[in-house]
Amino acid sequence: MSAGMLYGGDEIGALVFDIGHYSLRVGYAQEDTPKAEIPAVVGVVEDGNSVATLKTDGMEIDEKKPDLTNVSSSTTDTKYHIDTNFLHVARKGMEVSNYMKDGMIEDWDLFEKVLDYTYAKCIQSESEFHPVLMSEAPWNVRNKRERLTELMFEKYNVPAFFLVKNAVLAAFANGRATGIVVDSGATHTSAVPVQDGFVLTQAIVKSPLGGDYISMQCKNYLQENDVDLVPSYLIGSKEVVKEREKARWVKKRNVPEVTTSWHNYMTKKIVQDFQASVLQVSETPYDEKTVSSIPTVHYEFPSGYHQDFGSERFRIPEALFDPSVVQMRGGLVGNTMLGVGHIVTTSVGMCDVDVRPALYGSVVVTGGNSFLQGFPERLNRDLSVRIPSSMRLKLISANGCAERRFGAWIGGSILASIGTFQQMWISSQEYEEGGKGQVERKCP
Amino acid sequence: MADVRDILELERPPTPEITKEAILGPEKVKKKPLTTKVSKRPEGMHREVFALLYTDNKDAPPIFPTNTGQGYKQLKAKLGMRRVRPWRWMPFTNPARSDGAVFHHWKRTTDEAKDYPFAKFNKQVPVPTYTDTEYLQHLHNDSWSRQETDHLFDLCRRFDLRFIVIRDRWDRSRFPDRSVEDLKERYYDICGTLNKLKASSSHETKIYVFDADHERRRKEQLKRIFERTAEQIEEEQTLINELKKIEARKKEREKKQQDLQKLITAADCQAETRKSEKKLTKKKLQHQIRPRVDPSVVEAAGIKFPDFKGSGVSLRSQRMKLPASVGQKRTKAIEQLLQELSIELNPMPTEDICIHFNELRSDMVLLYELKSALATCEYDLQTLRHQYEALNPGKTLVVPSSISGNKETSRNYVSAESETAKQKGISEIIDVVGSPGTPNMT
Repeated sequence: MSAGMLYGGDEIGALVFDIGHYSLRVGYAQEDTPKAEIPAVVGVVEDGNSVATLKTDGMEIDEKKPDLTNVSSSTTDTKYHIDTNFLHVARKGMEVSNYMKDGMIEDWDLFEKVLDYTYAKCIQSESEFHPVLMSEAPWNVRNKRERLTELMFEKYNVPAFFLVKNAVLAAFANGRATGIVVDSGATHTSAVPVQDGFVLTQAIVKSPLGGDYISMQCKNYLQENDVDLVPSYLIGSKEVVKEREKARWVKKRNVPEVTTSWHNYMTKKIVQDFQASVLQVSETPYDEKTVSSIPTVHYEFPSGYHQDFGSERFRIPEALFDPSVVQMRGGLVGNTMLGVGHIVTTSVGMCDVDVRPALYGSVVVTGGNSFLQGFPERLNRDLSVRIPSSMRLKLISANGCAERRFGAWIGGSILASIGTFQQMWISSQEYEEGGKGQVERKCP
Repeated sequence: MADVRDILELERPPTPEITKEAILGPEKVKKKPLTTKVSKRPEGMHREVFALLYTDNKDAPPIFPTNTGQGYKQLKAKLGMRRVRPWRWMPFTNPARSDGAVFHHWKRTTDEAKDYPFAKFNKQVPVPTYTDTEYLQHLHNDSWSRQETDHLFDLCRRFDLRFIVIRDRWDRSRFPDRSVEDLKERYYDICGTLNKLKASSSHETKIYVFDADHERRRKEQLKRIFERTAEQIEEEQTLINELKKIEARKKEREKKQQDLQKLITAADCQAETRKSEKKLTKKKLQHQIRPRVDPSVVEAAGIKFPDFKGSGVSLRSQRMKLPASVGQKRTKAIEQLLQELSIELNPMPTEDICIHFNELRSDMVLLYELKSALATCEYDLQTLRHQYEALNPGKTLVVPSSISGNKETSRNYVSAESETAKQKGISEIIDVVGSPGTPNMT
């Protein structure tokens, strides 16, 4: 008992899946980073005239053998290209599509393909040996939860399954059972209060201002300023040019005829890189004067075009904290949106007055978009202005890159390897007796 | 002496075999008692000194440092003295689960038989149950239906009485929205009723009573505090500061008044005692009339001469020495008065002269204090009059005769008769100053 009890941990070979709109993180519980991060985007190539009507459930299950071509295909006609390496290759007629919508799984066929790929390539082990813990959006709906449970038990024969809201996992990863989780992800930014490991569902506040929105703003800005956004797959060679000079590059030959969706996807990749390396959130509300005194940042695009970026690197992400600046610039989004600070205070304001101090006492910042330089500092400042001074405010944001990027996954990894958690799983026996409805009761 | 032995590393018992216990619990390792003969320490010699002399076989201590033993080096922990116990990937069942599901984990083959160690942490909050008849007879409530009550108890069991979560997951489509207090009230009400039913009539069980109204009021107050705006907080802060200022002023005034009161009573008392010395029979009666006179207050106003309690011989003139507590100003005043009265500064210290001289000087100080108090009062009166005249041009402040009349007498001679009247007058002045709205509030 001594060894088993020492750290309160007991590892039973469980797998943890953290399903996000941008990517799917997967790995073994009790490890500190996921084994793989797979984009939530799948490239689909449909050959010729044959339509996917051939697909039947029975055939899909037969297709579970490892695919030697690194391509998951359910029929001879439709090929699915999963994971960055295969997705980023230019292919004729490859459409890309995301299986997620609004933080929830939308396209179940594609999701299954990704799971097949994951088991075959990343886990490289049979699914029936590993209990599975999955994350979900806090606002996930009942039928999707049941469908996921059914899928895991029926198709993958997992020995046990569990669903946890990702906000709870993010809080656990930061060592809290109570707190408000500010998750700024790809599609939206949300504030989710967590009390004793339970999400207070009535007080969730979210806004669609997330990483994708910032990407869109960046793209608009770059296009307005006549920056040619050429994805790297098109570039055969380029020459060194002076700053702000038009890029001189030669198009790659033999590029197959790609679809618009794939081209857009590749363009977005470039914008995302720009976004990650250039943008910064100003510490105080945006002010042209103070911002102009801050040194500019140099950035070179794949095409060879390069220039310094000054005030705009602060102006674009300012929309996250003060959406009113968007209208000023003639965007589509108006004043009705809430800034991040406002989201948090609104959410806490909806909770019981007794738990508010505890929530402000641990504001957990997570999600890929919170990597924007200065994001946590600005949030801290905005909140300290808004909340009563008697309230203790503590902002918790993991410093390490992996810790915040995989926050929810790490929480899942911790949870699934705790000894006392092992009684919580929905086992396959329970599933057989109680059916998929169990998930509502067992995974609150 | 074992400590010295340890420090000098002399006659160390052989290092025991390092086991897990030795590393985990060093305090348990008992050192073997030293068997060397110890010569007796002479009476009065310090232990440390003795230890330097007779630590061992009376060898002379080394002259230069030697490095024979282990020195202060830590012994390297030798781990893994035992044989390796193999681990195996083994199935286990968790007694905390009702379905008997089998999972696998790594386990030492040696502790195979043990129960799942984490099962003991599976604690459940006891939530009472009720039967149909119990519900119908005792638990019926007009505002709660049976289904709603069942739903509440189901949630209580699922969320271990976390009422905030219960309220969050409350089925709003089937039942009306309830506040946390409503839920708690209903739950604890039922628990109390069930406890009462189940408790045997012989002994009373403690029943938790949930005061829902109090909770609601508390929440309401908390909410109000939470929702204060910045301006409101600021306003509150300024008000608090004002209040503090006012209180400080009030205290100051009270202190002044008390000082005055002290002086007056002191003068009063002294005058009386002098009288009573003459008419001993009247003494008791007078004291009954003025019971508030406190001897300690009296002493504070005059000079308190210390009692000579020290053993040995002392000069009587020491008794006439002014104590240090009398300030320089007062000492000067006393000297001046003594000169005016042409009394020697240092009279011959006979017994009688000592007592009387001390009394006289005490009275002098009192007189001095009273005079200065009067002066401040008059000054206050004067400033008030000026202010009054400045505010109401053309009018003059009529000072009541009780004050002005006393002023004249008290300035020249403090008589016992005028004392009461004066006291009244002064307290009146104080009241005037103390009443709100008077501009002269400092």
